Amino acid sequence: MTIKWWARAFLELRPSIGLSFFRIFMALTVGLHVLPSFFHLQDNYLSTAFKTVNLSFFTPGAIELVQKSPDSVVCFFVIFFCVTWFFFLIGLFSQLSCILMAVCCYYFYALNAFHIGTLSWDILLVTLFLMCLTPYHGDYFSVDALRSGQIDSFKRLRPFFLQRLLQIQIASTYFFTAFHKITASGNWLTDNPMYYLLNYPPEGVVKQFIFREFFVARPELCYVIGVTIIVCEILLPFLLFISKTRLWAMGLGIFFHVVLVSTFHVPTIFFFLFPPQLLLFINPKDIVQWLEKKKSQSQNQGQAQVIYDGHCQFCRTSINILLTMDLFGYLKPVNYHTIENVKTLHPNLTKELCHSQLHLIEPDGTLSGGFFIFRRLCFRLPMMYPFIFVFYFPGSGIVGPLVYRWVAKNRYLFHRAKVCRDNACFR
Amino acid sequence: MFFPKKNFLNHNQKRTVISVFVVIWLFIFYYESSRHFFLNPFFGREFPKIKFLFPPAGWIMFFNVDEGYGGAEVYGIKDGQRYFINPHDILETKAVGYDNIHRNVLSEMLSSYHGPSFCRFLRRKFPGYEQFEVVAVFYPDVTETPKKKLYRTVYVCE
Repeated sequence: MTIKWWARAFLELRPSIGLSFFRIFMALTVGLHVLPSFFHLQDNYLSTAFKTVNLSFFTPGAIELVQKSPDSVVCFFVIFFCVTWFFFLIGLFSQLSCILMAVCCYYFYALNAFHIGTLSWDILLVTLFLMCLTPYHGDYFSVDALRSGQIDSFKRLRPFFLQRLLQIQIASTYFFTAFHKITASGNWLTDNPMYYLLNYPPEGVVKQFIFREFFVARPELCYVIGVTIIVCEILLPFLLFISKTRLWAMGLGIFFHVVLVSTFHVPTIFFFLFPPQLLLFINPKDIVQWLEKKKSQSQNQGQAQVIYDGHCQFCRTSINILLTMDLFGYLKPVNYHTIENVKTLHPNLTKELCHSQLHLIEPDGTLSGGFFIFRRLCFRLPMMYPFIFVFYFPGSGIVGPLVYRWVAKNRYLFHRAKVCRDNACFR
Repeated sequence: MFFPKKNFLNHNQKRTVISVFVVIWLFIFYYESSRHFFLNPFFGREFPKIKFLFPPAGWIMFFNVDEGYGGAEVYGIKDGQRYFINPHDILETKAVGYDNIHRNVLSEMLSSYHGPSFCRFLRRKFPGYEQFEVVAVFYPDVTETPKKKLYRTVYVCE
């Protein structure tokens, strides 16, 4: 019985799509926390900086070693962090980039704990440590997924332990936060901390939000709010693990963080990391099931046809990448060589046109070709959302088609068949 | 897993490794969550902290807030005159979504241990001043006497 429960909790194979989604927010949180500190290197990290060290976190040896860094090494780590952070964000060599980025995070923390070293930063490092253990988070929403060439990589099965540990981490953090407030040296039951916080001077931690004055005048209400927060924090871990209450608990948790960030000066981690971490309570099997349903709906309601050159390996690879990105089954690839009369697909199409560039026929019959199909698809394929800014950037309508045309013309040079190395296959 | 080779371990070995890791991790996690405020007082001894991971005293966000509030102010002195220096000019790093100054980071400077390096920092940032005065500000009771502020000069950068 126990073994069965253990296997179900930690060892069972489940899709890793939730972790992949979480990776993006993890990267954003780390970036938002660390990158601003690079804009003032002289103040924060170089030899001219004011530095504090965290000796309870690091060993004296580690601190001493890092503190010896000359400015050139600091600059190297700044660049190295930016590269590894970006790789982690886009999911290129996900696990390796995660480890290297974590090393940089530790380096900057040991170098100067003053700006980035907060309690929530310590929480972030615990999460980051867990993320370093496996490459599961690179299974989807990543360049690694596109490189793997597996169209259904979003439903790749992995042991569930990592996601479970991240669930346990956030649930326990809520619980212990509340527990410390009412035991140890906490004074949330014996006193009125919320009332004090709201009465802090303008330079204090509470933001000037719209109802602040209303609460400041009502100490009893502040006490009730304080107790409510504790009750929610204690109950959340349990509600999150009970399937019937999970959705409500996740909503409550996210609401809590939105209110927290709107009313308090708390680090970005509370907003960018914790709510996505709460989303890890959604069973990835349910996500995949929902996606499959969406895919079959798309198939019934009509898909968009992508017309491509099946003799071109580069085109086939590109189509494969598009299909990997196509989470909702919007696209149906059509090799125009297998169609006798391409006019049956669309009256404006000819074999020559199909050979010259990719074409997209949308369910309503709209035909687009070349660069412009990417403009159409970036709203349809979730993994292309970040490219909306690129494809609609002013001037991209002129440069894009030129680049596309050049690539299309030389596409046979991009694949591995020796016979086409000199673009001889291009007609 | 970050193993040297793919399929480096067979299915059962993998499950064993994962199980061992999970047990160790959960032990460490709960140990560090309760060490400072619960285990240490209960057993009457100082248990060691695991380095390189976990905060020093567990998850203690806003766990104890009293009616007092303290902070730090920095003054530049020139030609015998004392000028208040905006804390945002001292620490210019802008975090996204919050303000570090409001999180009272400046109060770290009040430790005399940090005095020499903070003075060096101030002299570089504000070369126009001859001296700097680092002052501790204390509100004894933010609810009863919100306007009452006590000042104490902690150190002066000559």
